[in-house]
Amino acid sequence: MKRRDFLKFIGIGGVGAGAGFVLGKVSKPPGAKLIPYLIPPEDIVPGVATWYASACTQCGAGCGTLVRVMEGRAKKIEGNPAHPVNRGGLCAMGQSSVQALYNPDRITKPLKRKGPRGSGDYTEITWDEALKTLAENLTELKSKGNSDKLHLLTSPLSGTLDKLVREFVSAFGSTNYSHYGLFQRKNLAFANLSAMGTASVPHYDIENTKYLLSFGADFSSTWVSPVNYSNGYGKMRQGAGERGKLVQVEPRLSLTGANADEWVPAKPGTEALLALAIANTIVEKGLAKDGGAWRGVLSRYKAKDVASICDVSVERIEAIAVEFAHTRPSLAIAGDSVSSYENGIAGAIAVNILNQVAGNIGVTVIPNGDDLGGGRRVDFSKKISTLIAAANADKVKALIVYGANPVFTTPKAAKLEDALSKVPFIASFSSFMDETTAQADLILPAHTSLEDWGDDFPDPGVGAPVASIIQPAVGPVFETKSLGDIFIELAKAVGGNAAGKITAPNFAEYLKSSWKELYSRNREMAAGTLGFEDFWNKTLQNGGWWGPPRKRTATVSARASEHLTGGPARFEGEEGQYPFYLIPYAQTAYMDGRGANLPWLQELPDPMTSVVWGTWVEINPKTAEKLGLKEGDMVNVESPFGKISAPVYLYPGIRPDTVAVPIGQGHSHYGRYAKGRGANPIEILPYNEDPRSGEAALNSTRVRITRGGSGERMVKMEGSTKELGRGIVQTVSTSEFKRMKKEGV
Amino acid sequence: MKKLILYAVVGGIAFIIGYFVNYQLFSDRAPVQPINFSHKIHAGDNQIQCQYCHIYAERSRVSGVPNVKRCMGCHQIIKTDSPEIQKVASYWDKKEPIPWVKVYNLPDHVYFPHKRHVRAGLDCKNCHGDVATMARIEKVSSLQMGWCLSCHSKKEVKNGSDCWTCHK
Repeated sequence: MKRRDFLKFIGIGGVGAGAGFVLGKVSKPPGAKLIPYLIPPEDIVPGVATWYASACTQCGAGCGTLVRVMEGRAKKIEGNPAHPVNRGGLCAMGQSSVQALYNPDRITKPLKRKGPRGSGDYTEITWDEALKTLAENLTELKSKGNSDKLHLLTSPLSGTLDKLVREFVSAFGSTNYSHYGLFQRKNLAFANLSAMGTASVPHYDIENTKYLLSFGADFSSTWVSPVNYSNGYGKMRQGAGERGKLVQVEPRLSLTGANADEWVPAKPGTEALLALAIANTIVEKGLAKDGGAWRGVLSRYKAKDVASICDVSVERIEAIAVEFAHTRPSLAIAGDSVSSYENGIAGAIAVNILNQVAGNIGVTVIPNGDDLGGGRRVDFSKKISTLIAAANADKVKALIVYGANPVFTTPKAAKLEDALSKVPFIASFSSFMDETTAQADLILPAHTSLEDWGDDFPDPGVGAPVASIIQPAVGPVFETKSLGDIFIELAKAVGGNAAGKITAPNFAEYLKSSWKELYSRNREMAAGTLGFEDFWNKTLQNGGWWGPPRKRTATVSARASEHLTGGPARFEGEEGQYPFYLIPYAQTAYMDGRGANLPWLQELPDPMTSVVWGTWVEINPKTAEKLGLKEGDMVNVESPFGKISAPVYLYPGIRPDTVAVPIGQGHSHYGRYAKGRGANPIEILPYNEDPRSGEAALNSTRVRITRGGSGERMVKMEGSTKELGRGIVQTVSTSEFKRMKKEGV
Repeated sequence: MKKLILYAVVGGIAFIIGYFVNYQLFSDRAPVQPINFSHKIHAGDNQIQCQYCHIYAERSRVSGVPNVKRCMGCHQIIKTDSPEIQKVASYWDKKEPIPWVKVYNLPDHVYFPHKRHVRAGLDCKNCHGDVATMARIEKVSSLQMGWCLSCHSKKEVKNGSDCWTCHK
């Protein structure tokens, strides 16, 4: 070997070894750090979980929760097994509340608008400045004698928080505090008020029902109190005694419908007539428990007259009527698809009459008592139309919004955004940039329910008094404030009457004294406790207080029949031009759109279609064939009020004259996971609010379907609706079966 | 051409040697800590029990890094003139935790509770070595799965070789 080569080898060897050494160095993970506590908190052992009992506020059902907290961070939420509403269950929305807590798109500090409205151009300000600005706006209003021009619009708040807000608004001198949202079931409440005297949904004892006739109530996924009903349904089907039967009447097969023994796809809008015809058949056949008072009214709804309108055969109506009356106890319920028609109240009353005739009231229909006085108040005089009219008439000088998102949940035809542009000052207390908050001039972000105090008196509850407590499971993650504290501090800053009335130092104290009052007037609560402090500690430990069941009954008042319309529901759009009924429905994960900003809910496959991260249009395969559409094709869904685009999903579980679109997507704001995804069917609905209850009629337009451009791809978990010869479902024909039976195979 | 291949082979071998020299001899078995803390002085010379500082070992998954207040409990008075103790005091004054470097690191897919091992009467020495003689703490066990299993089988731990015992 030459000297030259030797040196070359040395050089190459050196460079190689050096490179290897450096690679070895950088490929090693950096030493993880062990960060100790400065001073260890007494109640935290690192690595050991602490569970806090609280209540879920994602929807109005009021399920009890247990929050698993480690080192001060909420990690997991489970249902509270001791809570009578959910008995340990918790739905996907409840599970996802941790993602609301840690959401990367939360508003973390108070914001003040810099650019034009809706531009999203905000500057961060301090809490002192934010409260001062808001208080100044309100005091100016007051000094000009315009106190009543303050409007407050919130999601249905419950219990003590609702009491505090009510107190603040009235002490300030305004009467304009209203709850707003889709699926408030105001039509049901109104029907129950006129029929049974209580403005709320009664407790339906599904557990002990043997024949459940559901008119479009998707109680296992979105309707009123899904976890409670699903639990009851499980026991109805597989509990002690004979297996109960479920019959579902709805134009679009929901998850509940898919579980039913029978699906009755009545023509949309005719469910009220069908219910009355069933009731009439029961009375005519002499099977009624209590039909005397109704004979006259019902005689107008003969099965043979109604059958063709409803598209259900006379034989089927009669068979259902006989089985409903004979199977004891039975139960009929009116769900969202019935109460969302323009004649929703009539539909709900018809179902009440059916229950009365079959003798179910007081047996499986237990009217609500609101024993503890904290239940959600339904105020029929407060409507979104009231706010729009007031804003257009220059009667809204300041608007405070929390929880409600009317810009997203009100049809474009209502021209809400125009009305809002006339309001000189809008403040939002939301910690998420939803479509309504994006219109705000000032944002004071409130805690999520995992960081805040509160209470809930579930309505409809369980036929027993229930009071749940909401306690902070974790310290605030960002610079947000307790919603109650915002109102208390605002009352102090505004001064005058409000400051005189609300004297509690903070909301935690306010809540505690409110419960002290409740305790002092309730003997059942006091029983077995050593004074209030003992009761309070036990309440915090258990997640609330619940009493023994109450047996209540009522009689459906004959006067309720004045709300019956006598015909099917009306739909906007002429049949020739707009051939399909549109059913926009609450989807399991997104509900009214509130769940769209949580990735867990976005990636949760829809239980019926398995679609994720988007909107779809459900069309019957026969209809699609006629229109020349295949699965995944983009279509325009066009009503007299506008147009949206989404891909087609071929769904055999829908009537050929009906199309359905889930609500919840199509956000223009609301964070990275929701924004610019799918379409919002509410946009193309007519502005059709029931003048009596204030509930929006969602199912009240016809649409036409036209082929759309290329666009969004539909992502779904399932591959095919066919078994493709894989023999997953084995079938034999009836004749074959008879032959096999005869031959004893 | 032949020469080029030879160069590549020599370079490659050197590369591998360099990599392993780093990996074996320059490992982080005894990383430099923000404070030059000596277990020899505390656990050795002064005979302080492990769980006096690692307070959660018997109650939790983790044994617990001593909180800064625990250090200052003694060192407000003891050896306040030492520059290392003054470093501890300066963390305390700034109300900042001390960023110790982790020596025993298990991946996330391993569930290891100190509690069970301590309660079973296992001496800390079994895994952490004779820390009473270590001026700077040093990793003495591989923490590889085989190492865990050999002890589990030797001590006849119930379900000790079941996957779900540690991977859950």
